[in-house]
Amino acid sequence: MSTSALQVARTGLDAQDMKMRVIANNLANVNTTGFKKDRANFETLAYQQIVAAGTQSDSENKFAVGLNLGSGVQLAGTARIDTQGTLSTTGNSLDLAIEGSGYFQVQQADGTTAYTRAGNFSLSADGTLVTAQGLQVVPQIQVPEGTQSITIGQDGTVSAVLSGQSSPTQLGQIELARFANPAGLSAVGNNLLLATAASGEPQVGAAGAEGRGMLRQGALEGSNVNTVEELVEMIETQRAYEVASKMIKSTDEMMQFANQQI
Amino acid sequence: MDRMVDIARTAMRGAMARQTAIANNLANAGTAGFRAEIMNASTRWIDGQTLKSRAEQVDQVVAADMKSGVVKETGNPLDVALGGDGMLAVQANDGSEGYTRRGDLVLSDSGLLTTGDGHPVLGEGGPITLPPADSINIAKDGSIWIVPQGGQIDQPQKVDVLKVVSPRGSSVLKGTDGLFREANGGTLPQDPLAQVTSGALEGSNVNATATLVQMIEASRAWQGQIKLVETAKDIDSSGASLMRLDN
Repeated sequence: MSTSALQVARTGLDAQDMKMRVIANNLANVNTTGFKKDRANFETLAYQQIVAAGTQSDSENKFAVGLNLGSGVQLAGTARIDTQGTLSTTGNSLDLAIEGSGYFQVQQADGTTAYTRAGNFSLSADGTLVTAQGLQVVPQIQVPEGTQSITIGQDGTVSAVLSGQSSPTQLGQIELARFANPAGLSAVGNNLLLATAASGEPQVGAAGAEGRGMLRQGALEGSNVNTVEELVEMIETQRAYEVASKMIKSTDEMMQFANQQI
Repeated sequence: MDRMVDIARTAMRGAMARQTAIANNLANAGTAGFRAEIMNASTRWIDGQTLKSRAEQVDQVVAADMKSGVVKETGNPLDVALGGDGMLAVQANDGSEGYTRRGDLVLSDSGLLTTGDGHPVLGEGGPITLPPADSINIAKDGSIWIVPQGGQIDQPQKVDVLKVVSPRGSSVLKGTDGLFREANGGTLPQDPLAQVTSGALEGSNVNATATLVQMIEASRAWQGQIKLVETAKDIDSSGASLMRLDN
């Protein structure tokens, strides 16, 4: 006796469990600067054709419809939802938020470039602009000693007023990278994303030009996770999990009944 | 051999198949655009030499429930929900044209527009491929507008139109790949009245409560058949004990 109903219900439990992990990760990052939420996408598993429509049911008749039993569900993947997070003003002159599309470029320890929306930058011991993890922002911005104030324009131009001077000196320009398919970037943790074949080549240039977003100094882009929406998703997932476990219990009772009675 | 057991067995097989179909519906309660499958039991007479001797139960997935699922706002410009009974035309794995309600579209690395489960979406001239774009919008009538890379934001260009069909007036059947097809193997024409809502996604139309009730029914039907098997066993053994010659 096949107990495929048990296996089908199990795929439901597995998929809901994975979805719960995605929701948990979203909720855990509700305060992570520049975080973009993920969405779990489900797809049906293969169908098992037990009776094909049009085959002979006996020597004269044909089955008008087939018996196609589905074999459950699986997680097709997660999609990153790249909507804008809320901007909050911090007043810190090295905090940058991107209004619109585009990513900051940072240099990883191995010399390759990674991309991030998190603009909570700071200065390293030698005055280089770095991320919260200490990775250098590309192109390099070097702030000389004795700088009194730093101004970063909407187009990424960094200028500083040095001590003893009245007019600002231009230090460089922060460039943003833009991708044809940002959803194809792969997330690697620490708020960083890497370019992939799916995302396409980065188009690097000044902020505010060619569709790249503007920079806003003294503000940070928060996470785009909507807590209420995630909580509703969480309840739905929990109920779907309960229903799948009811299914397992019910099928188990069928088998148990058969075993005890016959 | 007691035929009562045989007949009960066909019904048991049917109840278990039904339970599997119900489990599949419940497992896909969260799959975008999924359409619940409807099972039906029918009678198959087995003809004897002169009379109909007995009837077996045959359980079949007869159709899919075509009610609309709940539409959720997602804000993602590539998510589309279809109004009315419209369906998106997609390319099946064998190259034929299939139809689906699934609207979570994604761009592949080559710019090919596919559904979340990987079927290329069809436009006016076959699968839709989008050039690198700064922004993509899908209008109410299914037309896809892009701002080409480096182009002016206020001058979007129309690149293609989603092929949205309506199954009105023809019958569609769900295949083993989860896609719908025209029952006679043909294709459906573009629906001029198609309504496409971008930034929203239709969920599964599985009604968990109703499906749980079906589950209990299938489980009870199974138990009823077990009782029949038990009764058949009792009759058989009491017949055997009648025939036994006591010393």
